[in-house]
Amino acid sequence: MDNGVNRPKNEDVHLQIPATGEERNWVDRWREPRGSRAVLLSLLILALIAGVGMLVRATGGTGFAWLHLMYLPIILAAAGFGIYGGVAAALVAGFVLGPYMPMDAAKGLSQTMSNWMFRTVFFLLVGAFSGLISKYLNEQIDRLKETHQHLLQAHEELKSAQMQLIQTAKLESIGRLAAGVAHEVKNPLAVIQLGVDYLTRTTKDTGDRDSIETIQEMADAVRRADVVVKGLLDFSRSEQLGLASLDLNSVIEESLLLVRHELTRNHISLEKHLAGQLPQVMMDRNKIKQVFINVFMNAIQAMGNNGTLSVKTFISQPSGSEAAGQSPAGEKVVVLVEDTGTGIPEDKLDKLFDPFFTTKPVGTGTGLGLSVSRNIIELHRATIKIANRKGVRGAAVSIAFPIPNRG
Amino acid sequence: MTKKKILVVDDEVGMTRMLKRNLEATGRYDVRTENEGAAAITAAREFQPDLVLLDVMMPEISGDEVAARIKEDKKLSNIPIVFLSAIVKKEETQPTGGNIGGFTFLAKPVKLDDLITCIENHLGK
Repeated sequence: MDNGVNRPKNEDVHLQIPATGEERNWVDRWREPRGSRAVLLSLLILALIAGVGMLVRATGGTGFAWLHLMYLPIILAAAGFGIYGGVAAALVAGFVLGPYMPMDAAKGLSQTMSNWMFRTVFFLLVGAFSGLISKYLNEQIDRLKETHQHLLQAHEELKSAQMQLIQTAKLESIGRLAAGVAHEVKNPLAVIQLGVDYLTRTTKDTGDRDSIETIQEMADAVRRADVVVKGLLDFSRSEQLGLASLDLNSVIEESLLLVRHELTRNHISLEKHLAGQLPQVMMDRNKIKQVFINVFMNAIQAMGNNGTLSVKTFISQPSGSEAAGQSPAGEKVVVLVEDTGTGIPEDKLDKLFDPFFTTKPVGTGTGLGLSVSRNIIELHRATIKIANRKGVRGAAVSIAFPIPNRG
Repeated sequence: MTKKKILVVDDEVGMTRMLKRNLEATGRYDVRTENEGAAAITAAREFQPDLVLLDVMMPEISGDEVAARIKEDKKLSNIPIVFLSAIVKKEETQPTGGNIGGFTFLAKPVKLDDLITCIENHLGK
């Protein structure tokens, strides 16, 4: 069943904020440059100062308006290297312009020197002031970037919360619908069942093979419909839990016992690696058994008539906790179920938990098993993940339960 | 051997008809059917059944209310009541009837053999 038809993609409803991540625009690249960029910018500034110097010389000295072009490299240096860059460029510019200061014979050398000093100080003021503005702007840019990052993070969190809300609302409405449908379907199903039972009795001694076979097929159809209805009821009722502190390994053993017949029938070998001394986990025994049976049966059906079902339990450390010397607060008890079956097509992986999604042939799966399982797992504040095994055939299901506080 | 009297109450006519046909075909039961709660209480007083098979979700008077009224009536209070319901799953009951809150429940769709076993268990008591 394609349940994606006519459904708007969730992504469509989100506000699109461009992710910056580590991307840097040209302003970033030339702001406080390092290495080759710093050398390049310094050379450019020096070239500009020399260029303006030559222009001033060619046009008759500092009395001309071309002199004001010297502010460009000074401001550029201040923008690139801050206040020190601006001051350094101002000093260089003043030095370069020195020989071109117009000599006033009447007022003498001291007046010329004083003019030169005055211009240089003016350059220094522009350099320093531009540097200060540049520093202020850089700080503002950094602050804006930080705010942008926070906004992006908040947006991601909102998006994730929205997705969860949509999913929860979807599941709730499907749950209500499922319960209603299940009830309404069970009544006519009960009539058909009794009708089939009646006909089974009345045709048993007639020797009419066609009728007997037809009735048998009807009985089988009723049984299949009942399985679907049962799935719907499971789906609508998965929200009630009776929690107890239990040993996960024993619940796994009990569940394996219930699928033992299927394993034997399908010539599937079982590999168990259950860790000893696992901490107890809060769980609803029957509901978790339901999840395990579902996962085991999926694996068995994916393997067909041969294969190996592997079940492991272990304690997982939160990544980096050992190195950081943290308390075992993030530790989880994990069950890893692996099969050697066909695996799951990559494009189907993200649909596995959708209600009514199934990869099994029509009539053999309700498409509710994993959906119900995930509901149950999430009610336990645990997580379930399904992926294809790396490098080998088959799928892997991992279920991680939080360990209650041992203090 | 006298036939045991069974009152079958379900708002779905097809269901009561099918139950009557199946149970009477065994030759062991005399079955009366009703399709709504009020008529079922009256029928119980007139028919004096040995057992009542009762649907839970019915319009107007629900199955549990019918059961309560039967239990209130001194002449009827000893009659065993078996609920036949679509609101329970087989796993929540025994295949041949599970006890929920003091009453026996059978989950729909029920197999005739399970139903008869359940009825016989009650009538044999």
